[in-house]
Amino acid sequence: MSSPQTPYCGSTEHLTGRRQFMGSMLSGMGAAAGMSLLTHPLGASELVQRGKSVVVIYLGGGISQFESWDPKTHVDTGGPFKAIPTSVPGIHVSELLPHTSKLMHHMALIRSINTGNDDHGLATNLIRSGRMTRTATEYPELGATVAKCLERADFPLPGHIHTAPAGNARRGNNSAYLGPRYASVTVSAEAGVVNSVLPDGMTVTVDTQRNTWRRFLNERFMRGRHAAEIDAFTQSYEQALQLMTRREVFDSTREPAEVQQRYGSDELGRQLLLARRLVENEVPFIEVKNDGWDTHCNNFEYHIHNVAFFDRPFAVFLSDLADRGLLERTLVIVMTEFGRTPTINPYYGRDHYSKAWSIALAGCGIHHGAVIGKTSDDGAEIVDRQVDHRHLFHTFLRAVGVDSSAEFDIAGRPFPIADPAAGPIEELLT
Amino acid sequence: MSSANVAANPASLDGTAVHEVHDWNHGARLLACRVDPTGKHVFTASTDRTVQRWDVVSGAKTVLTGHDNWVSDLACSLDGKTLYSVSYDGRLIFWDALAEAPAPQRTIDAHRGWVRAVALSSDGKWIATGGNDKVVKIWSTEDGSLVREMAGHAHFIFSLLFRPGSTDLVSGDLLGKIHHWDAAQGTLVRQFDASEIHFEIGDWSHYGGILGLAFSPDGKTLIANGLHKVSNALANGQQGVALAYDWEQGSLVRKHESIKEERGAIVWGALFHPSGQLIAGLAEYLAFWKPDEADLYHVLETKSPIYALDLHPNQVDLFTAHFDGHLRVMKLARG
Repeated sequence: MSSPQTPYCGSTEHLTGRRQFMGSMLSGMGAAAGMSLLTHPLGASELVQRGKSVVVIYLGGGISQFESWDPKTHVDTGGPFKAIPTSVPGIHVSELLPHTSKLMHHMALIRSINTGNDDHGLATNLIRSGRMTRTATEYPELGATVAKCLERADFPLPGHIHTAPAGNARRGNNSAYLGPRYASVTVSAEAGVVNSVLPDGMTVTVDTQRNTWRRFLNERFMRGRHAAEIDAFTQSYEQALQLMTRREVFDSTREPAEVQQRYGSDELGRQLLLARRLVENEVPFIEVKNDGWDTHCNNFEYHIHNVAFFDRPFAVFLSDLADRGLLERTLVIVMTEFGRTPTINPYYGRDHYSKAWSIALAGCGIHHGAVIGKTSDDGAEIVDRQVDHRHLFHTFLRAVGVDSSAEFDIAGRPFPIADPAAGPIEELLT
Repeated sequence: MSSANVAANPASLDGTAVHEVHDWNHGARLLACRVDPTGKHVFTASTDRTVQRWDVVSGAKTVLTGHDNWVSDLACSLDGKTLYSVSYDGRLIFWDALAEAPAPQRTIDAHRGWVRAVALSSDGKWIATGGNDKVVKIWSTEDGSLVREMAGHAHFIFSLLFRPGSTDLVSGDLLGKIHHWDAAQGTLVRQFDASEIHFEIGDWSHYGGILGLAFSPDGKTLIANGLHKVSNALANGQQGVALAYDWEQGSLVRKHESIKEERGAIVWGALFHPSGQLIAGLAEYLAFWKPDEADLYHVLETKSPIYALDLHPNQVDLFTAHFDGHLRVMKLARG
C-alpha cells in the first residue's frame, strides 16, 4: 500500500508550514510585506564575508542521536546497531552512516546539547532562532540572520533559500525584525523557480516597458509616503525579476549526467545538488529539509531506511563541496530540533528528548575531527560540556566570520545578533 | 470447558475462557517464543542478546548466551533436543536444548546483516533462514551445511514458514510480498500479494510488512499478519490485521481485523489452534477469531504488548512473550 500522506505526531511542529504563505513567486514575495524594513546595515568591514555560505540540512521531527552521531552499544538504551570507526581515529558513529563515516575528517560533532524543550514547535523555534521566543519579541531565524550579515549590495539572488522536493516557490515568515528581504524563499529542486519564464506572447521588450512603468508609478506613489509594507512590496518585485534573470542557477538538469547520477534521483539527493549549485553561486544561506524522523514507533526500522536515505547523498554532497574547494568557505550543519529518548517505548519507538542530543557540522571555521561534549554510557545524561541552542547559534555565525556579539540597529534600537547571555563554543572554532 | 475437554476435543475451544496462570519475568524485552514439540520447555529470545529456556512446569529459567545482538527468532527440532536461534548479529546458532547449561553447538555466519526469521521443515531435516540480505537460505540440521540459497525478494525478509507435510516454504517481506518456494528444488513457485500490509513513506521509508505467517491445521489457509489502514505511521496509528489466503487458489479470502478503535494495534504474531480458531497478539491484547470468521469474538487484555506467542502440544497452554520482558502462560480453558 502506498500513500502520499506524510505522517507525523500531532504536535504543533506540523503547524509551522501553515504559517508560510503559499503561492506563486510574485504573490508570495509580496505576502510578507507587513514586516519591518527599517533595518540599518551592520558595519560592512566587520561582518561581510564575501562568498561564505551556510547550508543547513534539517532533519525534521528529531533524528535519533543513538542511531546517528552518538551510538551506544551493548547497553539497554542503545538499540541494535553497531558503532563503526570513522576517518578520524577514535570517533565512532552508527553503522547506518557508512559513507559519512569516511568524511569525518571534514566534520565535527557536538554531542552535548540540552535545549530543555520536547515540543516540536517550541524546540524548532529554539534551534532556528537561538533564543527563547516566548517573549514579546520574535527573533529572526539563523537563515535570515546569515542572509543579513553576509549580504552584499551587488548580489543578484536571495540570501536565504530553502529547497523543497517539488512545488511552487513561496516566502517564509522567519526574518522577524530584519524584514522580508531576509525571509526564506523556497525553491523546488524539481522545477526550479516556477513561474519565472515570461508567458507566451510577452516579449522582453514589453516586459521591460511594463516594469519601467511599474517603477515609475511606485516612485510617484511613494513620494511623501514611506511605509515598510510599500518597501517590501517593491523589493519583492525587484527580487523576483532578479530571480527570473538567474533562473538557470536553480536548474540542476544543467549539471552533467554523471553528477546528477551521483547525487541520485531521490528527493534529498536532488535538493542537495541544488544546494551545491547555490553554494557555487555564493548564496549565503541554504536549507534543505527532510521530514519523517519523528519515530515514536518502529524507530529502528525507520532509521535503517531514513539514515541510508541521508547518508549516501550527504556524503556525495560533502565530497563534492570538498573536491571543488567550496567546503573551505561553506559551513554545513546537520540540524534537527531535538534527539530521541534513551528509553525504548513499547512500540519500539523513541520519543522526544532534548536533554542530551547531537548535531554534526562540516566545513569552514571549525576544527575538523573535533567532538564537543560527552554523554553518559546509556546516553541519558550529558557528562561533559553542556551547550544549548544559544551557544550553537553563536557558533554557527562565528564559523562564517560573523561577530555574534554585535548588534543589529533596527530603527535606532539595538538588537543583539545572538543571545548576549551566551557565547560560541570557542574550542570548536578555528 | 475444562483443560481436559479442550485437549480431547479441540473444537470445543472457547476463547472467552482464556486466563493468565503464570507470569515469569526475564527482565529484558522479549521478541520470540517457541515451545519445544515435546512440551518440556519453552524458549524465548530477547533484546539483551540472550535466549531463555523455561521449564514449562516450574518456570525455572536458564539463560543461553552466544549471540551478539538482538535475538530475533527461534525454532526447535522435532525431538526437542536442538534449538535454533537467529539474531541481528547475522548468525544462526544450534544449541543443545537439553543441556544443563546450553552452549552453542554450531555457530554459522548465515547472512549479511540482520537475520529475522528461522523455520524448521516438516521432516526436521532443514532449517530456513532469512533477513536483511533478502536471500532465503536452507541449512542442513544434521551438519549445518548450506543446502541452497533462494533469491528474489526485493526487500528485507521478515518471516518464514514451511507448510506442514510438504517441502513448500513461504517467506514474507517488508513490501508485503509472499514467495512460495519449492524448497526441495530451490524454485519460486508463485507469489501472493499482501502489499496491503506495507506502507510507504515518501520515496525512502517503509512501515509494516509481513510480520508473521501461519498455516491452518489442514494446510488450506495461509495467514499473513501485520498492520494496515495506517493513519499516522510515525506515531503508531494503524490497525492490526491478519490476511487469510486460500492456499490452492492463492486468493485473499478474509481479513481478520483488529479492534477498530484500538490505537497502536499490530498483529506481531498469530497461530492456529487445532480447533481452527485463530489466536493473535494484537498490541497488548490476545485476540480470538472463530474458523472462517473475519470478526474477532474475544480479546483478553494483558499488561504489555505481545511480540510472539506459541501453543503447547497439550493445546491448552499458550505462551505469550511481551515487551515488558515477561513470559506469560495463558490457559485456554476454565479452571
